Amino acid sequence: MVHALEEIRRLLKPGGCLIDIHPIREAKLIKVHHGNKILFAEPDPSYCGEDIKKAEEALAQVIQCGLFITERDDQFDLPIYASSVAELQDFFAEIEAYDDSPKDETVEARMMELFTRVGEIMKTTGNEVEVAYHERARITRLNPNPRQ
Amino acid sequence: MTVRTDPENNEPRALFALADFNDRRVLEIGCGDGRLTWHYADKAAHVTAIDPFEESITRAKENTPDNLKSRVEFRHIGFDDFATASESSIFDIAILSWSL
Repeated sequence: MVHALEEIRRLLKPGGCLIDIHPIREAKLIKVHHGNKILFAEPDPSYCGEDIKKAEEALAQVIQCGLFITERDDQFDLPIYASSVAELQDFFAEIEAYDDSPKDETVEARMMELFTRVGEIMKTTGNEVEVAYHERARITRLNPNPRQ
Repeated sequence: MTVRTDPENNEPRALFALADFNDRRVLEIGCGDGRLTWHYADKAAHVTAIDPFEESITRAKENTPDNLKSRVEFRHIGFDDFATASESSIFDIAILSWSL
């Protein structure tokens, strides 16, 4: 990761900038919305912040060694809405097709149990109900340090 | 209904608050299917958007609006290979899009 950041620094023109966007280190939420009401919200049992921790350490390292200077950062919510659990599961299956990390069966079972409960809540609530996957992200502008 | 990602446009709003894309040469690393790219590409001088996953890049190319085809280049390539083959000092903005 540090090498990639060094290479990005090389590719940038003088006066250029790097914008990094990555999720913050807190569990994502699975929610059920009915209009403006939130009927259900629980953390995603599959969340593991290890990759995010490594990314943050790499960023901290290039800042500490003076390669980049943090100019500004902010946070924002990135919700994903679906009209059914099946629709949301299909969406995740497409994303996870790229993920070759080993699956934890216990976590998978907890995820299925959570989706079953969400599906039941949606079925009993009726129309205009949505399931949402709620993620929060940090966006940072980093400027190359002209002294390096 | 299809799955809706960030219908409130929180991500592009946060992006535009941090960088001016007008006439800039942009590198987006981890562009996926171009979800974020479409928001700023019409302002940029040129966008090189890369992703190691072929299916995402294929979808991004298929969905490129006609008015952006001349200024957005989607490439199926990992960052290490891209960087190795690239000269120095060629981009005004690099975006690490959920990919560090």
